Amino acid sequence: MTDFRALLEALARAHVRFIVVGGAAATAHGSARLTVDLDLVYQRTPENIGRLVSALRPQQPYLRGAPPGLPFLWDEDTAHRGLNFTLTTGWGEVDLLGEITGGGAYEDLLPYAVTLEPFGIPCFCLGLERLIHVKRAAGRPKDLDAIAELEAILEERRDQE
Amino acid sequence: MGSVMGPQNTDAIEPDPVIEAYKKDIDRTLIRENLKLTVTQRFEKLMALQQFHEEMQRAGRAARRRE
Repeated sequence: MTDFRALLEALARAHVRFIVVGGAAATAHGSARLTVDLDLVYQRTPENIGRLVSALRPQQPYLRGAPPGLPFLWDEDTAHRGLNFTLTTGWGEVDLLGEITGGGAYEDLLPYAVTLEPFGIPCFCLGLERLIHVKRAAGRPKDLDAIAELEAILEERRDQE
Repeated sequence: MGSVMGPQNTDAIEPDPVIEAYKKDIDRTLIRENLKLTVTQRFEKLMALQQFHEEMQRAGRAARRRE
């Protein structure tokens, strides 16, 4: 199980700049679908990468699905050299994304983010409309059902207003 | 806790006939129940669902080993 509280707490405590996207963002907006990882778009500045690396290092991040024993070292050099990382950690599965299809990087997504407080932890989460836009832009057949649910959430929210 | 501060920008969503077709099968009762919850409660529900999912997978593996 992915411990969303522990992950968000650690990132917030380290002042990491990130936006929750993907299935976890859908959950925050009211989705009933099962998602097993925390998808984050993180700011690609050297300072923020340093904070991100430090926040996760105690949980020994490792490449998800990779055979054990690979010489993978979670440090600032590794984070600088890569862009998107699908990791497994002591707190569960986390995807760190430097940018996403149809949405771009942290700075591009920030105007479309909302501030949420899951577990009392203030954090940015991609707004529902942008989340739909990004999933549509990705054009993956497996997302069609998820997009339909997100659009239904949008309609239900509008009906409640 | 579950306060929401809105985005500076939003997108207009144009209807897509394929997605409209998928939308017919969405269980809106689940959505309505989730919208009554706080953001924290939605994540707690997700983690409980994950736990259940993992337990069912474990039980399935155990059953296959017994076959």
